[in-house]
Amino acid sequence: MATTHDRVDIERRPKLGGGGPGKIPHRRGFGGGDDGGDRDRSGDFSSSRQRLRRGRIGVAVGIAGVSTLFIGLTVAYMVRQSTPHWDPILQRDIYDWKPISLPYRQLWINSLLLALSSATLELARRFMAKKEEFAVMCILPPRAPWDWPWLNLTVGLGFAFLAGQILVWNTLRAQGWYLRANPSSSFFYLLTGLHAAHLAGGLIALLYAACGRWLRVRFESQRIAVDVTAWYWHFMGLLWFCIFALLHFAKG
Amino acid sequence: MRSDSSISQRLQTSRLRRYIFTTDHKVIGIQYFFLSLAAVLIGAVLSALMRLHIVWPKAPAMRPETYLSLVTMHGTLMVFFVLSTVPQNGFGSYFLPLQLGAREMHFPRLNAAGFWITLASFLVLIAAFHVPGGPSLAGWTQYAPLSALAQAGPGQGLGTDLWLVSIGLFSLGSMVSAVNFIVTPILRRAPGMTLMRMPLTCWAWFVTGVLILLAFAVLLAAAIMLMCDRHAGTSFFVPGGLVMSGKPVDHRGGSPLLWQHLFWFFGHPEVYIAILPAMGLISHLVSVFARKPVFSYKVMVAATIAIGALGFMVWGHHMFVSGMNPYAGFAFSALTTAIAVPSAVEVFNWLATMYRGRIRYRTPTLFSIGFISLFVAGGLTGPVLAQPALDAYVHDTYFVVAHFHLIMAMAGLFAIFAATYFWFPKMFGRMMSERLGAVHFWITLFGAYSTFMPMHLLGIAGHPRRYAELTGVQYVAAMAPLQKFVTVAAIVTICGQIVFLMNFFWSLRKGPTAEANPWECTTLEWSLPSPTPARGFGDKAPVVSHGPYEYHSQPERGYVMQNAAPREDQTLI
Repeated sequence: MATTHDRVDIERRPKLGGGGPGKIPHRRGFGGGDDGGDRDRSGDFSSSRQRLRRGRIGVAVGIAGVSTLFIGLTVAYMVRQSTPHWDPILQRDIYDWKPISLPYRQLWINSLLLALSSATLELARRFMAKKEEFAVMCILPPRAPWDWPWLNLTVGLGFAFLAGQILVWNTLRAQGWYLRANPSSSFFYLLTGLHAAHLAGGLIALLYAACGRWLRVRFESQRIAVDVTAWYWHFMGLLWFCIFALLHFAKG
Repeated sequence: MRSDSSISQRLQTSRLRRYIFTTDHKVIGIQYFFLSLAAVLIGAVLSALMRLHIVWPKAPAMRPETYLSLVTMHGTLMVFFVLSTVPQNGFGSYFLPLQLGAREMHFPRLNAAGFWITLASFLVLIAAFHVPGGPSLAGWTQYAPLSALAQAGPGQGLGTDLWLVSIGLFSLGSMVSAVNFIVTPILRRAPGMTLMRMPLTCWAWFVTGVLILLAFAVLLAAAIMLMCDRHAGTSFFVPGGLVMSGKPVDHRGGSPLLWQHLFWFFGHPEVYIAILPAMGLISHLVSVFARKPVFSYKVMVAATIAIGALGFMVWGHHMFVSGMNPYAGFAFSALTTAIAVPSAVEVFNWLATMYRGRIRYRTPTLFSIGFISLFVAGGLTGPVLAQPALDAYVHDTYFVVAHFHLIMAMAGLFAIFAATYFWFPKMFGRMMSERLGAVHFWITLFGAYSTFMPMHLLGIAGHPRRYAELTGVQYVAAMAPLQKFVTVAAIVTICGQIVFLMNFFWSLRKGPTAEANPWECTTLEWSLPSPTPARGFGDKAPVVSHGPYEYHSQPERGYVMQNAAPREDQTLI
């Protein structure tokens, strides 16, 4: 009963639809995806493409998970802001949410840094993709104009953003907005802190790619790391602007 | 992913690399299985201690706090480390790639990472037994403010911290492995394996993967917030004006309800995370052993997806007694009743699949039928509890204990047993004893019903749950004989599991050698020899040209493997 066919056969094999027995095969039932064959072999070009694709899908699913985490926090933020709490001594509801005074100038500078880092990372990603076409043929790529060390620049900007966030926290602390001062500040630190932690994860991946030459990482792995992290990084940038918008427009 | 030479290299590597630090989905599946086995044994012993203490408070003498910590650990171990680990990660890791005709999970390393994080989480949880104060007292739901204040009880210090760290890790591990369950069915299906040709088990694992990814993220957020409340002085969940041991608590304005919303937004999908893989598995087994195609395959797929989607909209029914807006209560009530529809569809489809089938009464069949029976028995009280007015009366009684133990714990357990008996030949290359299996089934079935059916009566009579001891309460004292019966039944059931353990470990070494396809099943894992060779399908992906449940009504025509050559009359497009 068990039949296995050769790979050559696989690719010619028509795709059939239909569920149970006796169903008329139809094309609509074929629900996308590739044909699952183990086409990826390490060491050749298609393998690197496969790995890239795998990485991108992994990051996409990961982004879905991270989004849920922040959606959960956003909902909690909204709920907490709009619900009073019952004070047993005063015998009445108290709205204790105090709008936090955001240090806008610092936050805008940080946002700018993050947006810039997204742009530089995108450039790094594109230049690396171009270089890889030469790398697979074992040719030293010609130096293109505007081929700056974009990756290192991104890492620098990433660190600058994190440092900027620490400065923001310091400013708020100096104004008395401690983590425990008010629910608004608790949420501020929680949202920005978790965002920073997630961004730091991306930064580690970028550092891995940037130090690839010392770690003796193959160029193709380096390129995949940068490509995949770029998607994540853009998402982190978008997420930051969502958080910023939430903190600004739903200040309370 | 790897070239042939590297595979043969891998086969020559040490045992440690092959069986412990491996990215092989089959080994990881078995690792999850044994992790859950350890957890279920601990959890069962805890439940026996609790049951004994309820009826004979002096026999295992314990402080009320100790009883509560046992409640917490029993619930946490069983819900997280058994019911949401083994049906999804255990059997799923092992059989999802095989049933799809793939050589590996899409991200093998991520799969391994998921297991190791889960193991770490288990060890952290168990460590709570050994810290001063013992484990947390706040139950598996960890309602704030009890869970937020270290001074609230002996287990509320380090014990609760460990609980939170453990659950944070568990969330992370589950999300990491869920990525595989989502991506693998999308990208790694064998040629010809269309979505509508996937076995229903694969559909269930896929939908559960989505549920895990979305639900556990919220739990993780809630756990981080609770950690902040405990150690950073925030007041997300701790209300103001609390006085504890004569001292005012230094928190104000938090909302305990917020924790309940966040927790149950995770907690209700969690119920389906536990039961959906079980339902998929039972759909599969019922068809295999009734020798009939699944009744309306597409409706089953739709029902699975509908249950997954509706599962995110009903969390409020856990909170009817928390003083919610009646309109919100009504909405949750209506949605909860609505989720009974796809569940009932599945039940009727199982019955329709079995109807006029040539049922082979093997051990997996027995446990599948047991599952359906328990699922119906526990499910029928669901619409009762979905009514806010009724729920208000029975919510804090044994009625709810009976409901969720029947539908989630016992039904889930029966599915796990069915899967174990069913896939044991493929996993370990030997057959389990049918006779011992039948003995195990009847003990467990009668045990499950005699343990949990009387609890409905206790609940209707108003016996509150969660109390260590209710001596001196007159109307409760009248229920003591029934409670004693429950305890005896529970302990007999737990002892009956020794039969399973004996059967399992004896068959592991001495059982008769299994053929490739002992159950005459059609799905791809049975086209490989038993036990599954280390390389799985190797370089040759199977080609699928048939649906997963092609069992013919006439016995002589037999069944068609999914990877059998296409029929002559099959039109090729």
